[in-house]
Amino acid sequence: MNIVRPADELLDQPFWRHLAAGQLHLNACEACGAFRHPPGPCCPKCRHIGEHWAPVSGRATLQSYTTVRHPVHDRLTSAVPYVVTLVRLAEGPRMISGIPPGEHYDLKVGLELECKVISYDARFALPFFVPVAQVQP
Amino acid sequence: MTTSIAGIGQTEFSVRSGRSELQLAIEAIKAAVADAGIDIDEIDGLVRYTWDNTTEAAILNALGLPRLTYYGETEFGGVNCCGAIAQACAAIEAGLASCIVFYRALNARSGTRYGRGDRILSEENGQLVNRQMEPPGDVYSAPFGLLVPGQHHALYARAYLDHYGLSDDQCAEMLGSIAVTQRAYANANPRALLRERELTMEQYLAGRIISEPLRLYDYCLETDGAMAIVITSKEKAKSLRSRTVDVLAAQQYVHPGSVPMFLYAEDTHRLVPPEAGEILFRRAGVSAQEIDVAMFYDATSIMVPMALEDFGFVERGGAHDFLTSGGNGPGGRLPINTHGGLLSEGYFHGLNSIAEAVRQLRGESPNQVDCETAFMTLRGASSMILGRA
Repeated sequence: MNIVRPADELLDQPFWRHLAAGQLHLNACEACGAFRHPPGPCCPKCRHIGEHWAPVSGRATLQSYTTVRHPVHDRLTSAVPYVVTLVRLAEGPRMISGIPPGEHYDLKVGLELECKVISYDARFALPFFVPVAQVQP
Repeated sequence: MTTSIAGIGQTEFSVRSGRSELQLAIEAIKAAVADAGIDIDEIDGLVRYTWDNTTEAAILNALGLPRLTYYGETEFGGVNCCGAIAQACAAIEAGLASCIVFYRALNARSGTRYGRGDRILSEENGQLVNRQMEPPGDVYSAPFGLLVPGQHHALYARAYLDHYGLSDDQCAEMLGSIAVTQRAYANANPRALLRERELTMEQYLAGRIISEPLRLYDYCLETDGAMAIVITSKEKAKSLRSRTVDVLAAQQYVHPGSVPMFLYAEDTHRLVPPEAGEILFRRAGVSAQEIDVAMFYDATSIMVPMALEDFGFVERGGAHDFLTSGGNGPGGRLPINTHGGLLSEGYFHGLNSIAEAVRQLRGESPNQVDCETAFMTLRGASSMILGRA
């Protein structure tokens, strides 16, 4: 079970539609190609207005992480402990991710990671990141 | 700058105020005006955080102020604790108003709690659902369980520890020394929410882990109450019977990713580039070494070592040794959060830390430091330096 689900109307957006189809795509500049996250109308590198969505390699490095032990909502009591990560994608942007529920790894900042998209239903999937050498089936 | 803090006022810190945020705001404003020794009709400006539920219109109408010639908001909350002061100072220097009140009223324990995920989550069809567009708890991070500011701070802490090669034990020594030192300050502070509760290092270490590596005592207190701060021109302040404090410099400094919650910024082991401090100290005409007492916005304890280094009070990586040797304590090189901080006095979203800086410069702190200058920041996003008038 995932922890929190984006509202249904948001799942129509490209970020979530691509994940539901099985792959992480990010918002990118149609002029210079730079990726950005979260998505936005303007490229923070070249200031061009215009976007497209493109697949990313799924490679990332671990920038920080925390094991959350205190549930901050009554419905999360059975979800703790869980691991939240801050990762930097090979393409540049940072994003928040996590370790898939039930999987356990020795984490260290700088660890090489790869994306593992886990699907919850036809419309909703999440991009987790796991250590490259330790991908569990 | 040519502005002064002329008065401070507050309600009690509590966990259940039993009254509306509007009433709390009014009580704090009346207390601040009385402290400044001005007539309430002289208020002609108001500033507040956008996160405050009590509008300027509500204050204006409830108090029956004759007029406002300036009112404005600064975005977010504590990020702008000094930004709101800077805004008020700028408005006064521009001649838009002469007597501005910065207020913050919140029932943050008995009402909406910032430490809980409820404010950014709804329950739909047996699922927790999120439609929040900005951190904390935005739709790109909430599904992984990153929901509240205290969890973000755990990410800063881990990045900081790793950058300097500090172990979890060294982290506990460092952060524990902050929590224990500040609690002792609070024990001497009759206003503090935790004035009667002592904290030892053993108790700190036994505190349950909230979000690794942060423990219960690394977190600020959800608090009910209100605070108000009166800002006037230095010239007007001189005519008042109250003991006023000069604003030497007050500023904002944000950079990509640093707001709202420092999620996507370039570095996470530091929270602001050195330039922010350089600008601030140059404007104030003092150096970091000349600061006598400091208030660091301690939503969690990790903000203290990071601010120490980000503003050059200690060398990069030097905060552990500074803090574990009592540098922040009574008689230390730089006493920090002498009211007990947000960790142990209470949480008026940073305004109570500004008030403590004012009290120090007036000679009215329960943990008085011999001081001419006081420093305040929230992770560099807004900062200021106050001086004895």
